[in-house]
Amino acid sequence: MKNSLLPPFALSLLCSAPHPAVAAPEPLDVAALLDRIDDMWRGDASEAVVSMTVKTANYERSMKMEAWSLGEERTLIRIIEPLKEKGSATLKSGNNIYTYLPKTDRTIRLTSGMMGGSWMGSHFTNDDLVKESRLRQDYDAKLSFQGERGGQNLIEITLLPKEGAAVVWGKIVTTVDAGSLMPLETLYYDEDMAVARTARFTDIGNLGGRQVPTVMTMIPSDKPKEFTRIKYEKLDLGVKLDDAFFSVNRLKRTR
Amino acid sequence: MYTLTIAVRSLGRNKRRMVITTLATALAGWIMLVYSALLDGMVRTMERTVVSLELGDLQIHAEGYRRDPDLYLRISRGEELADELSKRGLLSAPRLYTFALAASGVSSAGAELRGIDVEREARVSEIHKHVRHGSWLDTTDPRGIVLGAKLARSMNAKVGSEVVLLGQAADGSMANDLYQVRGVLKTISERADRSGLFLTEAAFRELMVLPEGHHELALARGKHDLNAAKSIASSEAKGAEVMTWRELQPAVAQMLDSSVAGRFILMFIMYGAISMVILNATLMSVFERIREFGVMKAIGVTPFQVGFVIFLEVMLQALAASAIALATGLPLAFYLQRHGWNLSSFAGDMSFAGIAMEPIWYAQVSVAGVATAIGALFAIVALASLYPGIKAAIIRPLEAIYHR
Repeated sequence: MKNSLLPPFALSLLCSAPHPAVAAPEPLDVAALLDRIDDMWRGDASEAVVSMTVKTANYERSMKMEAWSLGEERTLIRIIEPLKEKGSATLKSGNNIYTYLPKTDRTIRLTSGMMGGSWMGSHFTNDDLVKESRLRQDYDAKLSFQGERGGQNLIEITLLPKEGAAVVWGKIVTTVDAGSLMPLETLYYDEDMAVARTARFTDIGNLGGRQVPTVMTMIPSDKPKEFTRIKYEKLDLGVKLDDAFFSVNRLKRTR
Repeated sequence: MYTLTIAVRSLGRNKRRMVITTLATALAGWIMLVYSALLDGMVRTMERTVVSLELGDLQIHAEGYRRDPDLYLRISRGEELADELSKRGLLSAPRLYTFALAASGVSSAGAELRGIDVEREARVSEIHKHVRHGSWLDTTDPRGIVLGAKLARSMNAKVGSEVVLLGQAADGSMANDLYQVRGVLKTISERADRSGLFLTEAAFRELMVLPEGHHELALARGKHDLNAAKSIASSEAKGAEVMTWRELQPAVAQMLDSSVAGRFILMFIMYGAISMVILNATLMSVFERIREFGVMKAIGVTPFQVGFVIFLEVMLQALAASAIALATGLPLAFYLQRHGWNLSSFAGDMSFAGIAMEPIWYAQVSVAGVATAIGALFAIVALASLYPGIKAAIIRPLEAIYHR
């Protein structure tokens, strides 16, 4: 997940390593800034406890989960609450997503047809889980605004898809506070260049000894009353994890 | 009476011509007879496939459901509505739909889950008779599911295979459970074959955490015609969307309609050609007998009687031709109705407009179909006799007698 811009998906948030904010270099190096932000959100390995609240027109649900990450390509999430889904686990390993279902004691690799589907009933798709680590590969970043807007000193970075890249978004625009270099908001535009969803980063707090936004709220533009909110409860970036921890066989085992 | 005798004898004078004309007419009649039966069979099979295997004659959905099949967009009082409709002679089957991932062993596929009220469904559709392997759903076996043919193949699942279903339940939780394949269906429709996964309504509700409501109510029109049934259903299901199968599958309805038109086009061409043959043959026979007709006129036979002789000659041939066509065509048509025409060597799985067809083509012999083919034959032949008949009738006796 190194080099991804911002977490379009919970996991990058959960599994990221916040570094102390450093003043932006002059002149502004967009790539360096993106790396810096990215590094805020992800370490080499992480362990986190996160709660997720999903509100839709039809239901509202809260879940608590543990998440581990290693590098860019490996993520494991296991549900702790609610009881009904306790032990359900999602493993992202490279391009594949596996789901372990304790009720049936089966592990299922999601087919491409399921990638567009909702992850755990949230406003994230399974595809978000896979694609988020590729943003820097698939998009070109450029500085699109720097200065004061609405009384805030901001930096705005726009990502446009590289030619031929198979992407979901037509454009991604991220706003960062120029002083603290904390991300504030990311807008995801669809192919028609209309805002499809908005991610907001709030509640800056101390996690693992660093200041980071601890809450991300994702709001789909077509259903402005709905949202998915992810909140860090705990984050540990000093964990030692190896590849074997993220194997399909380990998926069903609780620690 | 003499006219008939004269007609018969005249026909006998050029036997070869008479036989050829009659046989050509018979062939046209035969083709139309068999073709009609096959066409009727295809139309009937397709209509039956569309209506009784999947759609029902009519369907009721919540407003907007068909545009966006949303799990939450339901008919709230499906069972109540079903009871009210049955009082008015319309049997109905409530159904539930959603999409989920179905996995068996290492293979998985996207599936359209269909929650079936087993008892009511049997009153509306014949899908329960359409199981190729294993058996249809049974309420006493809530873990038993039935798969569409292609879905079973793509999942590599057989009767007895375990299938895990994974989807998103109505409360946002992960719907997942383990099931066992009870049956695999025969060909139904492109959609049902490729992704249809049938389970009992109770199992569907438990899996999807959906305690109430239905997505669809499929209706059988019973003794009502389609439009009458629609107005009854509309009056009962206020605020819901009522559609006939013809509206639901306009492409199929249109195709079936146009196949009827196609029959008339073929009939027009076939019989048009045959009328030329008859016209030509009759005209020749009239010219050969001009002197004869002159004599007839001279001894007081009326023009009408002369024309009638020609008409009778032609009709007698048509009669013989029809007899031959019926004698040879009907047994074939009945054979095809009973045993069908196996096209599997030409085509594996056939499908027209998304409606899957079995590779065996069954004919359908109907009184109307046979009557149309034979009736039209007589009509066209009668028409073809007009010109030669009039020609003979208006002959001037004196000129005719000296004609050579």
